[in-house]
Amino acid sequence: MMELNFPLRPKENETAEKVLGGPVEYCVPCDLDMNQKMLKNSYLVIGKNRYAILNDGEVTESRDIGQFRDYQVTPNVGNVIIEARDDSGSLIVCRATMKHAPRYGYIAQILDAKSKNLKEHIFNDEPERRCSKCGRLLVGRSRVCPNCSGRRTAFKKIFRIGSKQIGIVAVATVLAFAVTAISLITPKIQRIMTDKCLDTTNQFIDPDINVFIWCIIGLASCTVVSRMIELIRGRMVSAMAPRIAADLRDTVYRRIQELSLRFLTSQRAGDVMNRITSDTDRICNFIQDLFLQLVHHGILLLFVSGLLFMTDWRMALFVLLPTPIMAYAQMKIWRKVLHRLFRKQFRLDDKTNSYLHDTLGGIRVVKAFGREKREIDRFDAHCKAFADASIKSEWTWSMLIPVSNFIISLSRVMLVYLGASMILEGTLTPGALTEFQSYAALISGPVSWIMGLPRRFADASMSVDRIYSVIDEEPEITNSKEPVAVSIQGDVEFENVTFGYNSYEPVLKNINLSVKKGEMIGLVGHSGAGKSTLINLICRFYDVNDGTLSIDGIDIRKIDMQSLHSQIGVVLQETFLFTGTIFDNIRYARPNATVQEVIAAAKAANAHDFIVSYPDGYDTWVNENGNNFSGGERQRLAIARAILVNPRILILDEATSSLDIDTETLIQEALGRLIKGRTTFAIAHRLSTLRNADRLVVFEKGEIAEIGTHRELMEKKGIYYGLIMAQRQMSRPKENVAVAR
Amino acid sequence: MTEEEKQKIKEEESHLPESTAVRMLTPENSRFEETEGGMLNVTVDGYVFERVQVHASFPHSSPRRYISIRTKSNKEVGLIDSLDNFSREQSELLIRQMKIRYFSPNITKIINVKDESGYIHMAVQTDCGECRFTVRGGGGNVINPTENRYIITDVDGNRFIIPDVTKLSPKEYRMIDIYL
Repeated sequence: MMELNFPLRPKENETAEKVLGGPVEYCVPCDLDMNQKMLKNSYLVIGKNRYAILNDGEVTESRDIGQFRDYQVTPNVGNVIIEARDDSGSLIVCRATMKHAPRYGYIAQILDAKSKNLKEHIFNDEPERRCSKCGRLLVGRSRVCPNCSGRRTAFKKIFRIGSKQIGIVAVATVLAFAVTAISLITPKIQRIMTDKCLDTTNQFIDPDINVFIWCIIGLASCTVVSRMIELIRGRMVSAMAPRIAADLRDTVYRRIQELSLRFLTSQRAGDVMNRITSDTDRICNFIQDLFLQLVHHGILLLFVSGLLFMTDWRMALFVLLPTPIMAYAQMKIWRKVLHRLFRKQFRLDDKTNSYLHDTLGGIRVVKAFGREKREIDRFDAHCKAFADASIKSEWTWSMLIPVSNFIISLSRVMLVYLGASMILEGTLTPGALTEFQSYAALISGPVSWIMGLPRRFADASMSVDRIYSVIDEEPEITNSKEPVAVSIQGDVEFENVTFGYNSYEPVLKNINLSVKKGEMIGLVGHSGAGKSTLINLICRFYDVNDGTLSIDGIDIRKIDMQSLHSQIGVVLQETFLFTGTIFDNIRYARPNATVQEVIAAAKAANAHDFIVSYPDGYDTWVNENGNNFSGGERQRLAIARAILVNPRILILDEATSSLDIDTETLIQEALGRLIKGRTTFAIAHRLSTLRNADRLVVFEKGEIAEIGTHRELMEKKGIYYGLIMAQRQMSRPKENVAVAR
Repeated sequence: MTEEEKQKIKEEESHLPESTAVRMLTPENSRFEETEGGMLNVTVDGYVFERVQVHASFPHSSPRRYISIRTKSNKEVGLIDSLDNFSREQSELLIRQMKIRYFSPNITKIINVKDESGYIHMAVQTDCGECRFTVRGGGGNVINPTENRYIITDVDGNRFIIPDVTKLSPKEYRMIDIYL
């Protein structure tokens, strides 16, 4: 339950009870005063018949609730107020930031009910979502608590993604062990070869040609075997990476499909596309790198370090000491500087992508207004900003690597100096130095890799953050615990339905409407009156805030969504066709339909004739957004698609508004066939297209203002009559034009 | 809505200018008054419009000009060319009412910025007090309506303004730069 009774301190509670003349029933913050000051300890307290404002424990205002009427919440810009009025005028009851806007929506209703001596009715049954660990309120619909998540969480997530390919990882790990073992043998052979065969300074050793040959054979075998294992490992890795990428993309895309319209419309398309493509790639590359290189480099580093220390601890320190120092320095520089630069680079990439998506989608408008030059300049600016950011980040990064490598190389020079001195002192043989140098060279790979790890991890964790911000988002509309799959007959009932995209701004208010199966309902009203919102509720894109919407007597929230959507057909003003063939597009909503059924649907939609007149018939390729078809053709394909579903409930949202009269006649015919026997909700601004409706429902400011047949509403001479008259007036030719004719 | 209220709205609408016409409100044809409850009434050519709201047409580029006075049902009573045309008392009253409609604290100092799971958590000092808020990453939650001015909208719909991004300290700018 949304918190509507914030706890007060005992002394404040006592003051509140005293002024209210009874217990505090509701208590909500009013964290903003009229002078724009944000208040930390100010509350609106409501008792049985009175309300009061408590600021820092002091009562600043107290009134009888019944003294005023029409309590309502008014959303302003960045704040909300509760206002009421009496005969002398209006009054601001209290004010708050938007944080409390939904709460104020309920509080205004409570005050209004109390002012009318009605039992208050609180319909919100959604709990305030809190973190299970720390109890803090979660942000938006995210499942992640910002307080409890961190780098470790990102690492866990990366590990979880990679562990799905555990089989390949395990085999690749074994192979990595084998390669490492072989690479450790090589310096040993080199040492034997140097000391036994090549050391001409040692007069006590007689060079043995057999040993030399065997050493050469050993070295060659090691190289061949290790390269073969590398080859097999490489092939396995290349198979693993695309699987991880596909899996991850599938997870993100699946979640996007599940998420509500509210979330999706709040995101930029280019941004979402980047998450599915670039971010998944980045994570996948990191996982591949991590799971395969970590084992290989880790083992190598561990063994070689051991061997180096066993040979000579001073020389070992020379070789190994720069590694942790440089890794730490790199991590620090990454966190302080590079992380920010790369993040900016990614964001600018998103922006550029979104901009492209936007302008290419509206290319007709750009061309129609001749704004190509402006758009080129804007795109140039985006590209330049991205290029500048990339140059800056890569330049800084490229500075870091040579510096690190230089320090490592310096340690090698020192190693040679130290080794040579020891040989001269007689404490080291030349073979041992060669072996030592070979080991030192062996660990240069792991050292460089470890030094680059912070960047790669930060890079991937940024992408993990972006991807999981989608995956962790909770879908708003979900199936109930025990959803019912029903065969819909078509009775639709709205009972006291109130709904707003923001709960404190109702778009539909107290709607009561009973529609019988097979009935055609025309929805009429000005723009923004609530017609499309009503349709959004029938499609269950959103859930009602209050009241019940039922289909065949079953609450829509209990009906299985898949079952519901498979029985609702929609034809919209802006028809969307997917890239593919005409046949695929008609069959989109019912993939198992037969060819005969598709042709029958196309015939019923008056689409068959134009389809077969195309050279490729039903195999004609539909371009993006159906750009290679006329508006009327697209519309008829959409109707065919709807007919094929055989929906029990049909929604026509301005289905014929953008068409010429001849095409409209064809489509009206098709629609006439389509709506037969189905419950139909049709929105049309051109009211003549609703003449066949059984009933017309006129909306005004979110309420049903009139219901009746065309004749009844014309006789009533109300809003509908006014709209019809206005349209007739507009369609009448101007007098001078009539004279000219 | 009761019949009486509908009648009242109808009467009010009959005193409004035609929807395509622009009626300019001047000190000569209009007078503003604050109700006891803190709301605004305006008398235009002798007719009293109750509980009107003050909307700025250009809240960022010209906050004192082209002020639209609107009824409760969001119809325009008239347009004020400039607040400076009105007496001090009248323009102060209108500014007070504008402050009720618009609450967008100006960020004076950025204390901390943390980015986690697609949400940006910010701690800032504003001219209205210290605030902590969360902004959803992506989308149009950080916009710049005029050069160097930024509006940040948090997950609840609160708006915070950086009046001039060039006036932030280098440290503050570094914290926020990647989100602009």
